[in-house]
Amino acid sequence: MSTAVVPRFRAEDVLDQLHGGLIMLDAGLHILLWNAWVARHSRVPADQALDARFEHVFDERVSPALLRAIDNTLGYGLPAVLSSALHRAPLPLYPDHGAAQAAGALAAPARMVQSVVLTPLDSPEGERLCLIQISDASNSVRREKMLQSHSDVLKRQVGTDGLTGIHNRRHFDEHYAQTLRRVGQSGGTLSLFMVDVDFFKQYNDHYGHGPGDQVLKRVAAALQGQLQRPGDLLARYGGEEFILLMEGLSHRQAAEVAEALRETVYALAEPHAKSLVAHRVTISVGVCTRAVQEGMDGRLLMSAADAALYRAKLGGRNKVVATD
Amino acid sequence: MASNDSGKTLLIVDDSKVSRMVIKANVLAVHPDWQVMEAGTGEEAIALVEQSVPDYCTMDINMPGMLGTDAAAQILQAHPSVRIAIFSANIQEAVQTRAQQLGALFVAKPVTEKSIGQALLHFRGPL
Amino acid sequence: MSILNEIERDALTEIFNVGAGRAAQSLSEIVGDEVRLSVPSVEVLRSGAIDEQVLPRTRGRFATVSQNFDGPFDAEAVLLFTEDRALSIVRDMMGSQMSLDELAEFEREAMCELGNIILNACLSAMADMLEISLNSSLPQYLVSSPDDISARLASAQGDESYVLVLHIDLVIEKHQTDGHLIFLLSSSSLHALVEHVQRYLGKIGLA
Repeated sequence: MSTAVVPRFRAEDVLDQLHGGLIMLDAGLHILLWNAWVARHSRVPADQALDARFEHVFDERVSPALLRAIDNTLGYGLPAVLSSALHRAPLPLYPDHGAAQAAGALAAPARMVQSVVLTPLDSPEGERLCLIQISDASNSVRREKMLQSHSDVLKRQVGTDGLTGIHNRRHFDEHYAQTLRRVGQSGGTLSLFMVDVDFFKQYNDHYGHGPGDQVLKRVAAALQGQLQRPGDLLARYGGEEFILLMEGLSHRQAAEVAEALRETVYALAEPHAKSLVAHRVTISVGVCTRAVQEGMDGRLLMSAADAALYRAKLGGRNKVVATD
Repeated sequence: MASNDSGKTLLIVDDSKVSRMVIKANVLAVHPDWQVMEAGTGEEAIALVEQSVPDYCTMDINMPGMLGTDAAAQILQAHPSVRIAIFSANIQEAVQTRAQQLGALFVAKPVTEKSIGQALLHFRGPL
Repeated sequence: MSILNEIERDALTEIFNVGAGRAAQSLSEIVGDEVRLSVPSVEVLRSGAIDEQVLPRTRGRFATVSQNFDGPFDAEAVLLFTEDRALSIVRDMMGSQMSLDELAEFEREAMCELGNIILNACLSAMADMLEISLNSSLPQYLVSSPDDISARLASAQGDESYVLVLHIDLVIEKHQTDGHLIFLLSSSSLHALVEHVQRYLGKIGLA
């Protein structure tokens, strides 16, 4: 060893001062490094995190996409990025306390918007490790505007002149979780509607994908027109699937809303030569209404609504099935 | 156990010549007495099956013309005794589910000794 | 002149299609809907010949994501789409109905990730099938004019340079897009790659 210069600072201090997160994992996903930024924003202190398994160190779920990317980086030694644009918040990290919350006092804090980079590293022993770098991507003005307009949608009355656009599945999942927590604390019911456009594949095959897209837009607009109150949430859940969430309805009211949804799409009178139920575009709707308990598993409500949708399809389509 | 496994016919369907040869080489290494037929598209496969029904079939999915899953469905409808293993680079859930619904085995590419082994197990059926 | 014979080209196409399948699966999990990605063809060209084949005389610019990798051979891998197609891919991936202006904000990040997913999937398929190990840099996103790209390709590896060109076909949310994936390599790297392909074919009794 040469007469190396003795460093006048410690590397660990630099890591802990870093304005960004650093986590290091070994091939078994054990945590080898957990800097102060990560400890602060995850609320998991370093002494608890070190040597723990990454998937188990948090109270909440880590995104499966992140776990898969880590596997790939460890397995193939290739660096990866998880952009905030496509993933928003793969880790359960939160902004510092004191950040202004949205007007709803019971609203659960939203995760920090993150940009994540994974890089492979070889240890001096030749072991492959994965370094995770996290930065806070919440800063841009545009992004603020986008998030703001989405939260406005949750709060304001919906008119027939349209919104900024309906949400996608990812946004729905996040808002669903927040709504469950909030309604679980305050009490009340949630109705979850699963909507599927009937014979949509046949529509695309017959009329083409362009017209298919237009029909989906018109169906979305029709469904949107039925949203009434703050807290009503509509999202596109899959190719031809939509999902709606409404609070404070009774079982009977939810069934009526579902029927109104079905009717409003039927009234579009969109010709559909290949539909086996009517010569127009129709939807099937399954809805489940339940009183929300604190800590209730949202997937149960979803699978009940899904089962109801399935029964609507089996029952001939262009149909509503309501359950509790 | 080997006696009811000899002299079988296998139809390999894939638009990639290399892929067909990899599968053929791997299968013949285990069962050198089997007869192997090849087809480069779903349509060709269906035509070949009409002439002579194979015992087993491997099927790719993304090929020019008809999708492999559709070709498999047609073959199984006409000849439900054929055992099909779908070998594909297309590994999305929807595709795997469709394969399973047809009663076919799904194996992700690349074709390796191990994945061929899985297909052979499916062909022989439960012992 | 053809550097690769038909069987070698078929083998590479197969390798890249395995990569495309993996990339499509990752993308479909992000988008929440089926994504189809395939590599219909692979060819090797002298880098000078790339203009007519890959850079059609469009007035628009190109969106590119590139990664440098090394191992048994070195190359720069570049994923190319026309700029307006890149924006509509980003919109399809983000799944909401934002305006094109708002999308431009996220274009760089989302395209970096898209490119990273596709490039990594191809590299991992090469690693698995050719039994090699590759290192790569992080993705870089750049929007350039066709002339800038030509210049970049020409200067990349000097005179004796080749380009492995993959035509790719991407379908997201029922919108179809084509693009190209280009590997820029020196002649020695190309020969190393071909040797590995021949070794792979040799193992299965084809070379």
